[in-house]
Amino acid sequence: MVGMSIRLGACMAVLAGALLLSGCGSFQVNPPLARYDPSSGYRFEKLEPGSNSDKLFVILVFSGGGTRAAALSYGVLEALRDTQIQWENRRISLLDEVDVISSISGGSFPAAYYALYGLRIFDEFPNRFLYRSIQSELIDSTLTPAGLLKLGGASFGRSDLAAEFYDREVFGAGTYAEVIARARRPFVILNATDMTTGTQFPFTQDQFDLLCSDLSGISLGRAAAASSAYPGGLTPLTFQSYAGKCGYRQPEWVDLAVRDHKSRINIRRAARAENRLSYTATEYSPRKYIHLTDGGVADNIGLREPLTAINSLNNSWSVLRLINQKKVDKLVVIVVNAGTNPTTRRDQTPEVPGLVDTLTAAAVVPLGNYSFDTLELLRQTVNEFNESMRLVSGCKELAVSKGPRCELDISVPHQIEFFPIEVAFEYIEAAAERNWFKNLPTTLELPRETVDKLRKVGQQILNEDPEFKRLMEALHGCTALAGQRC
Amino acid sequence: MEFVIVSYPTRRPVYVDGDLSGYTNEVLQMDAGTHKFTLAPPEDCDPIFCEIMVKGTTVLLPMKIAFIKKW
Repeated sequence: MVGMSIRLGACMAVLAGALLLSGCGSFQVNPPLARYDPSSGYRFEKLEPGSNSDKLFVILVFSGGGTRAAALSYGVLEALRDTQIQWENRRISLLDEVDVISSISGGSFPAAYYALYGLRIFDEFPNRFLYRSIQSELIDSTLTPAGLLKLGGASFGRSDLAAEFYDREVFGAGTYAEVIARARRPFVILNATDMTTGTQFPFTQDQFDLLCSDLSGISLGRAAAASSAYPGGLTPLTFQSYAGKCGYRQPEWVDLAVRDHKSRINIRRAARAENRLSYTATEYSPRKYIHLTDGGVADNIGLREPLTAINSLNNSWSVLRLINQKKVDKLVVIVVNAGTNPTTRRDQTPEVPGLVDTLTAAAVVPLGNYSFDTLELLRQTVNEFNESMRLVSGCKELAVSKGPRCELDISVPHQIEFFPIEVAFEYIEAAAERNWFKNLPTTLELPRETVDKLRKVGQQILNEDPEFKRLMEALHGCTALAGQRC
Repeated sequence: MEFVIVSYPTRRPVYVDGDLSGYTNEVLQMDAGTHKFTLAPPEDCDPIFCEIMVKGTTVLLPMKIAFIKKW
């Protein structure tokens, strides 16, 4: 009898173990790319501009910051929809002229929704995402028996569960194949961070070519989950690399840039080239899996990729190439920055700050400083474009002042008008209101009233931005104020 | 930012590092570093391509890269 009980117990244990193993989750594997084809997949040049003119080139940048960032970005999308401009003899919405959206973490949710569903975002997104207690729902789905079983797998983490949740509850399981099928601008770039290289990992086919993987088979929920895999709370997401199996060829500039490394002529370009090569190296310690964490780790604004596109010819959607071809006359970059600066009581007491406080500061302060520098880079870029023009006109004026014989005939590059616009809490005039917004937490659930305030303040800061006002003057624009449409 | 003029007797599309990046006889802007310049077909120009390090230019003194017609 005892022997039988032992055998029964052993059988039960084996059965339970087998059940547990079979139930353990494994990450949703990204599909391989059969053959590298630069003429297909999710690429800027494959999207029909339609009536969207390159002459007015508009880039939106949505920062990280959980639901706070999602609501602020959504408010700016609403403001752009309600802004009418006069452009190429047509009265159109400024939103129709948006060419590219680059997003991070919380900002990736409205960006992905807009990529997938276009204008439906304005009917559906608040109830599907903004007003929901996503964070609590995520925790609830983790604490179910199915969730716990899945989390027993070594290659399945909390972000994999979150990706399934976003697919099911937010994005309706939409994949990049559907975004490609829409074939319309804007080109939406969700950004994550490659944990190993610490560099930005954009969800574009140009990036997935490096892994010989087909982006069209990846869901927007998984991309948003990677972009918002907040370290600590959420786990990194795993992507399989099939590098070397699709006949991929690096662009010509990569080899040239690597050769430049020693000369230190353009270290940034060389680093970008070497980063690309890290994915395709197949001889020494090839990277079989890529682990992606929150996009904010590499750049919490989401502006670095657009800055490369503006400053370099060597980018898959280089704006500089378009400028050289005289296709762009006005370049608008709208940065929606939901960064905060919470009040602390640390300096009210002589006590030594605790470990959690110290570690939090160590993690958050460099991010803030880097974001500050990123925004400075944008201003520098604008200055550089304007400086060359000032130099030419200054020389011409000086020559003319010496007499008509001294007139200079200087060839100049195609000149553009640059409009750098920033929507950030620091530009709220009233101190109490500014402090209230700057103390909002980073979470995936906020009270409905807070979401509504964020939407409203996003529109308000945009409309008050001096560069946005200049743009409105240039485009004979009409902004919707106080909820009234143009 | 660097400034380059690729000269050729006629107007021709200019490819920089394999991508269409502007036209001949106009000032092109680009990032510093070694770049490969080619003209759009027909291949009646000399050289066929030019690999050159672009650095230290200004808008007033762009680098000049000359292609000539072969026949």
